[in-house]
Amino acid sequence: MNVGTPEPLLSIRGLKVEFSTRHGKVTALDGIDLDLMPGETLGVVGESGCGKSITALATMGLIPDPPGRIAGGHVLFDGEDITRADPRRLRSLRGADISMIFQEPMTSLNPVFTAGDQIAEAIMLHQSAGKAEADRMAVELLRTVGIPEPERRSRSYPHELSGGMRQRVMIAMAISCRPRILIADEPTTALDVTVQAQIFDLMRDIQRQFSVAIMLITHDMGAIAEMADRVAVMYAGRIVEKGTADEILDHPLHPYTRGLIGCIPVLGKEAGEEGRMPPLAEIPGIVPPLHLLGRGCAFADRCPLAFDRCRAESPALEGGAHKVACFAAEMEAA
Amino acid sequence: MGPTAYIARRLAYGVILLIGVLVLNFFLIHAAPGDPAETIAGAMGGATARMLADIRSAYGLDKPLLTQLAIYLGRVAHGDLGMSYYFNQPVIDLIAARVGPTILLVLAAQVIAITAGVAMGVFAARKPSGPLSAFVAVLSTVGYAAPVFWTGIMLVILFASIIPIFPVEGMTSARFSGGFVAHIGDVLYHLALPAFTLAIIFLAQYSRLSRASMIDVLGADYVRTARAKGLSETKVVFKHALRNAVLPIITVAGIQFGNLISGALLVESVFNWPGMGRLAFDSVLRRDYPTLLGILFFAALMVVVANLLTDLSYRFADPRIRTGGR
Repeated sequence: MNVGTPEPLLSIRGLKVEFSTRHGKVTALDGIDLDLMPGETLGVVGESGCGKSITALATMGLIPDPPGRIAGGHVLFDGEDITRADPRRLRSLRGADISMIFQEPMTSLNPVFTAGDQIAEAIMLHQSAGKAEADRMAVELLRTVGIPEPERRSRSYPHELSGGMRQRVMIAMAISCRPRILIADEPTTALDVTVQAQIFDLMRDIQRQFSVAIMLITHDMGAIAEMADRVAVMYAGRIVEKGTADEILDHPLHPYTRGLIGCIPVLGKEAGEEGRMPPLAEIPGIVPPLHLLGRGCAFADRCPLAFDRCRAESPALEGGAHKVACFAAEMEAA
Repeated sequence: MGPTAYIARRLAYGVILLIGVLVLNFFLIHAAPGDPAETIAGAMGGATARMLADIRSAYGLDKPLLTQLAIYLGRVAHGDLGMSYYFNQPVIDLIAARVGPTILLVLAAQVIAITAGVAMGVFAARKPSGPLSAFVAVLSTVGYAAPVFWTGIMLVILFASIIPIFPVEGMTSARFSGGFVAHIGDVLYHLALPAFTLAIIFLAQYSRLSRASMIDVLGADYVRTARAKGLSETKVVFKHALRNAVLPIITVAGIQFGNLISGALLVESVFNWPGMGRLAFDSVLRRDYPTLLGILFFAALMVVVANLLTDLSYRFADPRIRTGGR
């Protein structure tokens, strides 16, 4: 590998995913391009239903089929197209080279098996370790993710652990086979704020220790600011803006990205005349249902800058290192 | 609560429940019309008023009802269920000779119903709109709708005259010679049809329930986690999903034990299975109160024991119950 221009570990090209619904066929992902470099953190940000989780599931080869289907494009892991890999090969990648932690630590662990058993299971599967060896490694992993009394906790059932601890168990399970990619789908959404910060700290430690590349999926720009090196902003199944985290946070180009950043509450902001905090910002409207998308820009109906062209045609993602898909931003730049 | 304390408490509840069953049955049967003394006399070929009075005093039937109840409860506490009016033998001996075949029939039917029902439900859930799912839907409708005595008679007709491969009557072959193992084989051979008849209605329920439960569980987050680990589909379904999907089956199987026992009494009559069912039926016609009370008591005892075993297996299967969690 050339050190100057490293090859991406994960390269998603033109990924298109369709779902059959009662409204007919809808396109959940429409031509997604993403690169994940070794050891970096890529933030994928957007509202519910924008396709972030589908992107993650497609990367794991876990799109439920039916009703879902990869209708086009490639997902290259280390040069290997996993959209064309057979199920056996996919299983050997999952949990070993690419692993994932989910949004709901409360329900993501199986209630009838102990935490230790669930971690050891992955180790036995991918590292051909015996039960005793895997159990011992599971306890070590629980220690690594900062669970107190790991010997005892490995024998605990999920309902005996708090939300934060369960997410630590999920992380321990995800890193058990030294993956090269860790996909974190809203890993802190269900947790309270102090626990969120602890989980992010842990993820950073893990990244340093295991030099794993993280794809952090979130709707929280605050989390992006804290964690991400590069960011892709998604809206209605497309990427609308892409760049380094600093560029995106400091100079957002897409009106949607600006809206998301405007939604971050700012501590210490001046109180209003009545002694109240100013109301939290919001983006008016909701993400349109995918089956109702027209020809134009999907964000046009909610966009303060939209003009006629936005409703007639869909802007392409253009630009250098900092790309944006927006006619208004193009005009601003010109 | 530890398992010992838990079992002790459940046993205490069971004893209280059984006493309630005894008292209620006693009053129900004495409220029924008819005079047992006349039935006994009738069996002897008629009697004078004096003989009727003798019969009444011999069986304690001339005493006030509450006194009769007290005497009855006292005897039961000592393991004495009384003498059968008809057979003139201890009721406990009559039941002891017949309870084994009934338990065998009930357990065999339960095992068939749970294994086949869960297997069908699991495979149907893998393809919720596939042909096996449709079959499970049809089977459960037919299974619910068909009464066991009808199913039994249809199977008797089928296997007695059309394809005579299974015995349709009794528990053993009339002229049987062979060793112990061959004898067990012979009993199982005779058991096949009655057990299957009794199982059908419950199999229908379990297949439907496990299909629904499995579809639910297969959509759970922890099943996605299991897949994300790289586990094979077999392990995902039969280890991670099934362990959770059987929990409602255990609950329902426990509740159904009572229905299974009452169903067994009917099936026994159809297939002439030498269990408690025939004895219960005849005791009703003969107004043989002590025997009937004894049978009802044993049926209640079996249900109480079955429920206790169900609860214990539920505790074993679900750690959240075991440790008193959410």
